[in-house]
Amino acid sequence: MTALAVRGVTMRFGGVVALDEVSFDARGGEVLGVMGPNGAGKTTLFNVISGVQRPTAGEVLLNGARLSGRPVHEVAARGVTRTFQTPLMFWGLTVRESVALALAARDSGTTYPPRPDRSLVASGFGLRARRAVDARFHDEADALLAHTKLARIGDRGTETLAFGEERILELVRALALAPAVLLLDEPLSGLNPDEIDDVLGAVRAARADGITVLLIEHAVGELLALADRVVVLDHGRTIAQGSAAEVARDPVVVDAYIGDALT
Amino acid sequence: MSVPPVVPSSPGTAHLRVAFGVLAVVAAAVWFLPSYYTGLVTLIGLYALVTIGLNLFMGYAGQVSLGQAAFVGIGAYTSAVLALRAGVTPWIGTLAGALAAALVAYVLSFVALRLREHLLALATLALGIVIGVVFNEWEFIGGSSGLKGIPGFAIAGHPFDVRGYALLSWALVAVGIWFAANLVGSSYGRALIAIASGELAAEALGVDGERLKRQTFVLSAVYAGIAGAVYASYASYIDPSSFAFLLSVNFVLMSVIGGMRTVWGAIVGAAVVVVLGQALQALVPLVLPSARGDVQSFFLGAILIAMLILAPRGITSRWSEARRA
Amino acid sequence: MIAALWQYVLAGVVVGAIYALVAAGFVLIYQVTGIINFAQGEFVMIGGMTAASLAASGMPTLAAAALAVVVAALTGALAYVLAIRPARGASTVTLIFITLGLSVALRGLGLYVWGTNPLSLPAFSGGSAITLFGGVLPPQALWVLGTDVLVFAALYVFFRHTYAGTAVRAAVANPPIASTFGIPLRTFAFWSFVAAAAIGGLGGVVLTPIPGATYDMGLTYGLAGFVAAILGGLESLPGALLGGFVLGIVEKVSGGLLSTGWEEGIGFLILVLVLVARPQGLLGRRVRRA
Repeated sequence: MTALAVRGVTMRFGGVVALDEVSFDARGGEVLGVMGPNGAGKTTLFNVISGVQRPTAGEVLLNGARLSGRPVHEVAARGVTRTFQTPLMFWGLTVRESVALALAARDSGTTYPPRPDRSLVASGFGLRARRAVDARFHDEADALLAHTKLARIGDRGTETLAFGEERILELVRALALAPAVLLLDEPLSGLNPDEIDDVLGAVRAARADGITVLLIEHAVGELLALADRVVVLDHGRTIAQGSAAEVARDPVVVDAYIGDALT
Repeated sequence: MSVPPVVPSSPGTAHLRVAFGVLAVVAAAVWFLPSYYTGLVTLIGLYALVTIGLNLFMGYAGQVSLGQAAFVGIGAYTSAVLALRAGVTPWIGTLAGALAAALVAYVLSFVALRLREHLLALATLALGIVIGVVFNEWEFIGGSSGLKGIPGFAIAGHPFDVRGYALLSWALVAVGIWFAANLVGSSYGRALIAIASGELAAEALGVDGERLKRQTFVLSAVYAGIAGAVYASYASYIDPSSFAFLLSVNFVLMSVIGGMRTVWGAIVGAAVVVVLGQALQALVPLVLPSARGDVQSFFLGAILIAMLILAPRGITSRWSEARRA
Repeated sequence: MIAALWQYVLAGVVVGAIYALVAAGFVLIYQVTGIINFAQGEFVMIGGMTAASLAASGMPTLAAAALAVVVAALTGALAYVLAIRPARGASTVTLIFITLGLSVALRGLGLYVWGTNPLSLPAFSGGSAITLFGGVLPPQALWVLGTDVLVFAALYVFFRHTYAGTAVRAAVANPPIASTFGIPLRTFAFWSFVAAAAIGGLGGVVLTPIPGATYDMGLTYGLAGFVAAILGGLESLPGALLGGFVLGIVEKVSGGLLSTGWEEGIGFLILVLVLVARPQGLLGRRVRRA
């Protein structure tokens, strides 16, 4: 069953074509690897899907409903969220608060903040119901962090985290949204082997929960081992798609990656 | 049956206790302070109220407003015109002033909040000046000569004296602190902090940054509008120059001095700026006999620069860091 | 009616020429340092007030004018060294507030040195008013417009035809690479403040014989120059020139048709419309969001 459908997406910047009629489907609960050499258009593709950029042509559908043209926060509220190549932290919040924010956004059922009487005014007057919900977010955030290496540092400010911790926090934050589709932009780069295992474990757990994961990763070995299927981009075009094993053997793909071992 | 969750007390409660403590001190102090100083205490309270709102918008949400004086003016003019032209009591006038400031902020936010940083600073500055021009040119609200004889507050027929205004303004500060502290301690406040440093990442979690900024901008205008309405009755006279650009700069100065990302810093900032202004007004002529007029603005500007270079998080940040550690 | 309108346009051209100079200062500093200098208008004030007070003390007008430009440039240098350089690495918002503080401080200084009374400066050359298609221009207007031609021509030659100018453009286009080539970014930042201050001061000097100078004139000219720079897209000197004239003419014409009190308001209203409709300015190209 198709969860996310990318249909003829084209992205031009002036004369440069970053994406050229890219089409593929991601099924519910699969890990779809997105491969391609540098400059192939992978991050642009994520930007289009997540609403950061509006495509020049084509559309993106989630369960048949159009996503493209909507701003980032609406795309997220409909269940598509992402991480970034360089983790983006909320300086001034603790680890726990960062995750609790995602839970609050998810709880609003739409984009955050909901109507002022449920958010700004209720919070400002310190209404008991509102406080109870906020307290629940903190407990839930701790529960989500419990399985990760951030378990003991929920109180730490995010500005004090090491790079690997930032990557993992960003992932936990995104998962806290309980998305239908999760876009991970190079989630393994810059991590040590333990952290890589943690992230791979989290991705497998997400898949088991029925989340569709799109994964950009330069570590081709890990990508092929993890992905159910793979889409390969080169110069903005889809040059191959299929199961990991098929793609690894595809001569066109090997060509695009001359020199890179696909094992 | 599940165990009912433990609901922590509202984050503002502790602040409210302290704020009432401050209010009690103010009440005691104004009892024997000469009325001139009571007037200063009132002014500090009203400025602090504006700055609390500004801190939410600038310090927490990470935005800039160089036009906050205009919202003070809208609150003041609304209440004054209602009182003078329709005989509306300042109590209602203050509510109306807050509402009018909020409405204008809401409309302007669709223009200003699409912009960031420099352009947001410029847009808020420009809108503030445009509103100032409207004050100046609109004869119905007194034009450049302003409004005189604005009716004061009264309870059961007893008009407020200068002490009454000091108490009223500091009671408003206490409520303002309580509301802001509740907000800052809630998930709403966390969302504000999040968009200040990582708006795109927050948006990827479903946070509508522009809506959040709009609500906070409107809230800051409510704080300013209330302060303005009380000021109009307290001073009994307002004119367009009361709400000029320099007042907006002063609010920025108070915010920066007290610490933009604090709630209590607003009081410290307002007190420092008012007291310093008075001290300089007294001292500058002694040191520089040739000084004329409002020369102390040189020092205010210099202090703003020095603060930003030496203690960019304000003089109260050390206290709060000590508490957090 | 048409005659009156034409007269407003001429008045707008004169004041627009000054706006263009202030805008050029904004663009220079912004291009080199990424800072919007909210104190830019104070250099106009310092130029005008210095020239007027020196001339009043008996110095020949042109000598007073030249010295005033030097004083403005020195002020720019001091401002950079004392307020901007110590805050390097600060956030944009902090830098906005620092230049705002600079503006307030310089105005206070002007008030201390010169007081609140307006000062005047004799026109640089005598002669009767110039008549142009039925409109009248004061002779000083030629000096104002001539200054614009000279300043913008000099900037053009500097950026297009000198090694230093090319280095600045390279540094703006790609700071990390420029610094690996040994292009001294900090030195450029310093000189951008000096040049912007000198240009602003020059604007104040040539303008003052027409409306006079006051300690608080900086805010008006600074904001107008900022608006002109935004109209021009904030990154282009030709844009600053065009923006200055457009703003000057629109202000004077609308002020003349309505009332002078609305002049400033209308300038800003246009600004707000431009910010919303064309944030890239009248000439700028649409920049995509990265």
